[in-house]
Amino acid sequence: MGTNTEERYGVGYLEERQISPRWPALMTHLVNVVALLSVFYVTWWIFQDPRGIFRLYTPYVGYMYTRWLLIILIWMVYIFQFWPMRRSQLDSWHPLLKAAVAIPVAVLIMMLVIHGFFHGLLGNYGIAYFDAERTKDLPRMTQFFAEEYAALAILMFAALASWLAPAWVVGMERAPWQNEKQPVQGITILVVTFFIATILYFVTMHPHMGILYYPWQYFTSIAPPYWEEFANTVSGNFHISWIMCATVVVWLVETIWERYPFRMIENAWMRRLATFFGILAIAWAFHLFLYFAQELFIGETIRGTRNDNAPDWRWLHVGEMMIFMLLPALYINFYCGNWPKKFSTPVNLFVRTAITFTAGVALMVFYYNISHLVLGTQRGISQPEQFPMIPTIWLINIMLVHHWYMDNWPAWRKVATVAAPVAASAVSNAPLAAQPIGSAAG
Amino acid sequence: MADNDNSITRRDFTKGVAVGTMAGALGTMGIYSYSPLAKQHFVKAPAAKENIGEVKSVKVTNISETSWFDNKVLMGDIKGAGGLLVNQYTYNWAPFTQPKGQLGKGSYEDGMKILRPLIPNKLDEAWAYQLENAVNPTNGGGFAALIEVEALDGKITRILLDSGWNFDWMDKAFKREGIDKLLADGKIDYFVLSHEHFDHFWGAPVVFKYGPTVRTLYPKGFYPEGMDYLKAAGHRGELIETKPGLYKLFPGAALYNFATPIICRVFGEQSLFFNVKDKGLVTVTGCCHQGILQFASVAQRAVETKKLYGIYGGLHVSPFDEWDPKYDDLVAVFKKWGFEKVGCNHCTGILTARKLIEAGIPVIQGTARNGTKDKAYLGNGDQIVFAMNDVVDIAAAATQGAASAAPAAAGGGMKY
Repeated sequence: MGTNTEERYGVGYLEERQISPRWPALMTHLVNVVALLSVFYVTWWIFQDPRGIFRLYTPYVGYMYTRWLLIILIWMVYIFQFWPMRRSQLDSWHPLLKAAVAIPVAVLIMMLVIHGFFHGLLGNYGIAYFDAERTKDLPRMTQFFAEEYAALAILMFAALASWLAPAWVVGMERAPWQNEKQPVQGITILVVTFFIATILYFVTMHPHMGILYYPWQYFTSIAPPYWEEFANTVSGNFHISWIMCATVVVWLVETIWERYPFRMIENAWMRRLATFFGILAIAWAFHLFLYFAQELFIGETIRGTRNDNAPDWRWLHVGEMMIFMLLPALYINFYCGNWPKKFSTPVNLFVRTAITFTAGVALMVFYYNISHLVLGTQRGISQPEQFPMIPTIWLINIMLVHHWYMDNWPAWRKVATVAAPVAASAVSNAPLAAQPIGSAAG
Repeated sequence: MADNDNSITRRDFTKGVAVGTMAGALGTMGIYSYSPLAKQHFVKAPAAKENIGEVKSVKVTNISETSWFDNKVLMGDIKGAGGLLVNQYTYNWAPFTQPKGQLGKGSYEDGMKILRPLIPNKLDEAWAYQLENAVNPTNGGGFAALIEVEALDGKITRILLDSGWNFDWMDKAFKREGIDKLLADGKIDYFVLSHEHFDHFWGAPVVFKYGPTVRTLYPKGFYPEGMDYLKAAGHRGELIETKPGLYKLFPGAALYNFATPIICRVFGEQSLFFNVKDKGLVTVTGCCHQGILQFASVAQRAVETKKLYGIYGGLHVSPFDEWDPKYDDLVAVFKKWGFEKVGCNHCTGILTARKLIEAGIPVIQGTARNGTKDKAYLGNGDQIVFAMNDVVDIAAAATQGAASAAPAAAGGGMKY
């Protein structure tokens, strides 16, 4: 045929597609928000709501599925770049058809990972607490808590993976496998990030699980955990806090910060390392500062008590506060074309960050005032079964599918896909400033 | 070329300075947050302590600590209904079941259609219906305690804390401890509902059957179902809703209401504290979902007292024998709070009681009778007394792990 027929799958797809709003800005966003929230509410009612059908918000079982759906979507799009979906399918299929294919695939992978890998393999041949069927009949255990504990351990794994997988793309720019074709590149990054997540799981969350059972599992975990003095608690929520901060900062860097200022570093490996560890440094700054902010706002912690004065809850709440910041950041990037863009980069970033943080706080206040009425969660901010990360990540999952697979349909429509000007691998590895991910026009 | 490579524009320089400053500020913010300097920002407001007076002694009789009989059955129901946040009135548990009630598919209104005409005077008939139709009706028990407070002048004031759950079980427990007669004779001065949970509140018709006019206090936060049930259960006396914060009951005694969210869609809990002369503060709780150290901390700041002396009640740690590392935080620091006498009940959890004992906390053990399964905490019919003439040997208690309890019906037995 004489033409280059090499399959690119989704490499550069998000950067190259052109989508435009169907209506004036206000109407477009109104329709979009109503559509997103409608899908969110219907699916929440069906799967999560304690008053709904499946009632997965037990809370940990629903939390586990929500977390794993997130990381699998990230794998499919960020690590595997839509492979094995062909470029022609991404370009020509109706958004609903793409979502109808992607969602079942994501759910299938999620079920395989949770029930096959964690319950079946790890739970039966390695670490008992991953499989509730194995632990439910142990002394003082009930089926309910056996499932909750297994779900907790499995979702902690997802928390680590949902930081590391995108961090390898954003921070390490897929190096040193950036020139590999899919699926080799995806499999490699998946294996590497999963391997690192496993190590981190053992040094962050396994000691938490080790003292979850009586007596403490001295021979198999560090008990009490090594962070006790620093964190003023033996709870692994201390780690959840910084891991969630890192997860959110990855996306802030990738979206509204356009990888600035790290992208200014010309040396590739210096830039990669600075971005990867810079994200971690910023995350730790938030981790410590937001804990301190709570002490200023609520009061000093009382170790050993419950709810909002307990150190373990305060650490958890750091992560919850951060996730509220992520929602507006993603909205600005996905649906507002990373507005504003008319100023210098630092000013643009500052304005977006200010909007994100203001909207995040407003969302948080809104959530805690209405969640018990509409989502079936408990009143108040610190009830032990109150996990705002579940509905927020549930909504983020919907936004990811909507933006990645559905081209922001129906409020936007795809008008064209611009041909890649350079080799596919080069496009996908360039700093994001050269290839804005959110091409939606506000 | 070299000149060009090294040159920098004013704009780039300014941007670099700005970015560097922001990065530095962010980093400094994080480091400062964890530094000792951060502590200087904490507000140390002087506590506005109230003088609530003093009492001579507080005697607590555990009428029933057996909130439910089988943990696996209860958690099976909670799991089957959809988890810890499902509305408790929808379980089709007794006494609100529909005919042939299915787990998690009931409603208060439907349950009350049958129950309303039967309470409080036809409790046997009401319970017979529950046995036929409710989900696991025989698993319910309930929590209730009698608190007898001796004033400095010797006057006795009696408080009934909570009403349990299972009509049949609570009726028998009330009769065993003589609560039925005390209620009928008007010798219960206050009926305090700690919170709206099924095992603390749903047995209210048994209380009102014997004492319909007893002065009743409940915490703000009851749902419409709970408010309706209070009336339907047969209460005709003074009804007081306590607001979050301190509520003085009588000299030496007070309630504290915490606006705390609780599982099974319940909100708000109130606990009692008493200032025992020469000893200090004694806290008595139903479940203490707000956290026992939270309660102790608040009480310590709210009232003038010598020290934290004693605890009786649910410390609400592991009532389902579940665990979380954060509970180990409580075990780790509990001793530092200086409680000299600790009596636990069901909401504390057997596991927690054991861990506290292992940590050298002076937990008073029970006698494990009248349906109580374990001696790790005070059981049904056991008593604990906090008195100004108490002699507490902390060292001995810690060495032995715990003291032993006396049967209430045995004419007093040992005092602690």
